[in-house]
Amino acid sequence: MPSGTIADGRIDARPARAAGETLLSLENICKEFPGVKALQGVHFNLRRGEVHAVCGENGAGKSTLMKIISGVYAPTSGRLVYKGQPCSFASPLEAEAVGIAIIHQELNLIPHLSVAENIYLAREPRRGFFVDRKALRANAKACLDRLGVAIDPDRLVRELSVAQCQMVEIAKALSLDAQVLIMDEPTSSLTEQETRLLFKVIHDLRASGVGIVYISHRLDEMAEIVDRVTVLRDGRYIATDDFAATNVDAIVARMVGRSLEEKFPERNSRPTTDVILSARGLTRHRVFQDIDFDLFRGEILGFAGLMGAGRTEVARAIFGADALDAGTVSLEGRVLDIRSPRDAIKAGLAYLSEDRKAQGLAVKMPVDANMTLANMEAVSNRFGVIDFTRHAEVAKEYIDLLSIKTPSPDQPVRLLSGGNQQKIIIGKWLFRQSRVLIFDEPTRGIDVGAKFAIYQIMDELAAKGIGVILISSELPEILGMTDRVAVFHHGRIAGVLETAATSQEEIMHFASGYGRPAGHG
Amino acid sequence: MTMTVTTPPAPARGGLTDRQKDIVQKFAALGSLLVLIVVFSLSSGAFFTVNNGMTIALQVTSIALLGIGATCVIITGGIDLSVGSVLALSGVIAALAVKELGMPVPFAMMFGILTGAFCGLVNGILVTRLRLPPFIATLGMMLIARGVALQITGARAISGLGESFGVLGNGALFRVVTIADDGFPTVVFPGIPYPVILMAVIAVAVSLMLNRSVLGRHIYAVGSNSEAARLSGVDVAGVTRFTYVLSGALAGLTGCVLMSRLVTAQPNEGVMYELDAIASAVIGGTSLIGGVGTISGTFIGSFVIGILRNGLNMNGVSAFTQQIIIGLVILLTVWIDQLRNRK
Repeated sequence: MPSGTIADGRIDARPARAAGETLLSLENICKEFPGVKALQGVHFNLRRGEVHAVCGENGAGKSTLMKIISGVYAPTSGRLVYKGQPCSFASPLEAEAVGIAIIHQELNLIPHLSVAENIYLAREPRRGFFVDRKALRANAKACLDRLGVAIDPDRLVRELSVAQCQMVEIAKALSLDAQVLIMDEPTSSLTEQETRLLFKVIHDLRASGVGIVYISHRLDEMAEIVDRVTVLRDGRYIATDDFAATNVDAIVARMVGRSLEEKFPERNSRPTTDVILSARGLTRHRVFQDIDFDLFRGEILGFAGLMGAGRTEVARAIFGADALDAGTVSLEGRVLDIRSPRDAIKAGLAYLSEDRKAQGLAVKMPVDANMTLANMEAVSNRFGVIDFTRHAEVAKEYIDLLSIKTPSPDQPVRLLSGGNQQKIIIGKWLFRQSRVLIFDEPTRGIDVGAKFAIYQIMDELAAKGIGVILISSELPEILGMTDRVAVFHHGRIAGVLETAATSQEEIMHFASGYGRPAGHG
Repeated sequence: MTMTVTTPPAPARGGLTDRQKDIVQKFAALGSLLVLIVVFSLSSGAFFTVNNGMTIALQVTSIALLGIGATCVIITGGIDLSVGSVLALSGVIAALAVKELGMPVPFAMMFGILTGAFCGLVNGILVTRLRLPPFIATLGMMLIARGVALQITGARAISGLGESFGVLGNGALFRVVTIADDGFPTVVFPGIPYPVILMAVIAVAVSLMLNRSVLGRHIYAVGSNSEAARLSGVDVAGVTRFTYVLSGALAGLTGCVLMSRLVTAQPNEGVMYELDAIASAVIGGTSLIGGVGTISGTFIGSFVIGILRNGLNMNGVSAFTQQIIIGLVILLTVWIDQLRNRK
């Protein structure tokens, strides 16, 4: 691709001088797969030096559009114009060669190679037959310096944090002289602080004229970095706006096709004064210490705190997935002896892991098999032979109850959307008649509409007298859904607050270890 | 709970659902089996006869029995390399029990099968307790079991086991023999050999276990995602151990059948049989990553290998060439499997 085209009367010099000029535009893009119209008449254009967000629910066509831009798919119809020239990419390599790079949600680095080796993988500078290690290192260092991140190019990737890996991916894209950078959910697994650093890097890239396509479910953080936003719904183009001229509610309304008056449903459940689960002195050395709390029947108790504060770890230990060094857990006044998840499940506890695919679902197995997995005794006779009639009834009952969208009960769960997968896991525990459900980040990576449905389900569970613990890193979710919130700091509960009488600021204060802020009761 | 916001997910691309692809795979294997039968029938007159059919079935029993065990282990994401050695050890133990301890044959063979199950249990413990990779654990067992078999026999075959020792391997059900006028017996129908009946019964039983029982469901769940299975209350270690015990017990049974056929216990019997077992599972569509596999597929896979061997033999193809052909068949079928799984 010639880089000196005079398409619109302007010379394509170094990006910094040409900010604002259209870099990439897609016109009337359609993409069909057998039986599915993934995209219909989608428009999108990206200017130099802008961050352009693409929003839409799961299945809206975001990733298909990104795959068309990055050369994974060819569009069924429509035009792709890059730097003023119509073009089509036969493969991701071709797109990369002209400066379009994508950073996937699941990072694609090789853990056992060094940072420098990863950045220049398959493009190693050579001296004859051998890799020129000096040049490799120097070039990699230059890339990382340009990002302003201090990562030693000789470190192995497996020693890096997720955030650092992301920086390495960005450095790799820059080393390819990328002028279009697509970032898919870059902040989904970053801490607050790491997100700051990423945003700073994005700011710098924007200033140097790179066009950034930014995909995220976290609308709240977009205000800081996004210039324009394009909304897709059901594979159709809805609108493109300047971010400054719109707001999160308007974007959400466009995404779901109706106005969501509230992000959270009206709470119908009221906590009782009847303790269902109580923890005393839970300790796991070097992970958490002296955790005490009570959960009331019909209550939704929030676990808030920064990443690594011990929330998930406490939940896993209560559930028997990790061992406790000290402390007791009692259910309905009876002290439990839990040595494995089996024991916990038998006692009536359920834990919905934050990582659905790795820990929540047998993804190759169908919907119905996942739904009954935790309670096979209820669908089999005493010889362990499955009663398939009963099995099918159960699957149908919970698919209907939870409005799970699946073509059939024997669809492998990996083909379903995140929201539907989460509902299957909930169905699994409902069928098990669990009395305490621990939800760990239940709405992560789930679209707005499905989130609302999950919240409704949580409320209905609480209304039935089930005890619910909600672990969440999203404070609005904690404030919107819980009755009380236990704030974790550094492996301890820093405070238990009445949700109605607290605020994001107060929770953050406790989470950061400062205790009760001045001015609060 | 009446929100209907999420759009239904796009079906699998390429027009075929996973289920359809599975059927295609199964018919591909079955189809190639039929092609083999037709080709060999045309090229050799003696191939498509009742007698040769029974011979093949008999030859296939050992591959199929081992393959059934291998399938269960592989579905959980493991592998069992020890079955060839374990069958030798079990057969030798059964023979020694008869000869040295004077045990009645059925008890001796039960003892042999228990020996196999014990080896499997050790494999299972190595994998679940000591957390050794299955490849390493069973590789160790492969060497140990073979070594013990050679040690206790002094590397010599054990013969003189008596006629009753040969019944399991050589007997047949519904054998019809008429005595002709000249006084010589004529075999009207060779009967169904006991090992074939054993194979069929076990294949059906294990298939039912995998498809219809809670245990089977748990086996698939462990292979599909062991952490999710554990957090759903599945006894992952117990389920995994069970598959190794089953594989070991079936190896023990295979050992008894093989030694019984020869009425001699050979400590060198069954070398490389584990590879045939794994190959039959893989040809039948079992995924080495775990979570996927059927007994019917493995059954077809073991017949593909057995018929190839038999047919090539009848056509006078040398043993060396046979190895090359079977190697190519394995590569081809796994390649087809890869194509199937490609997105």
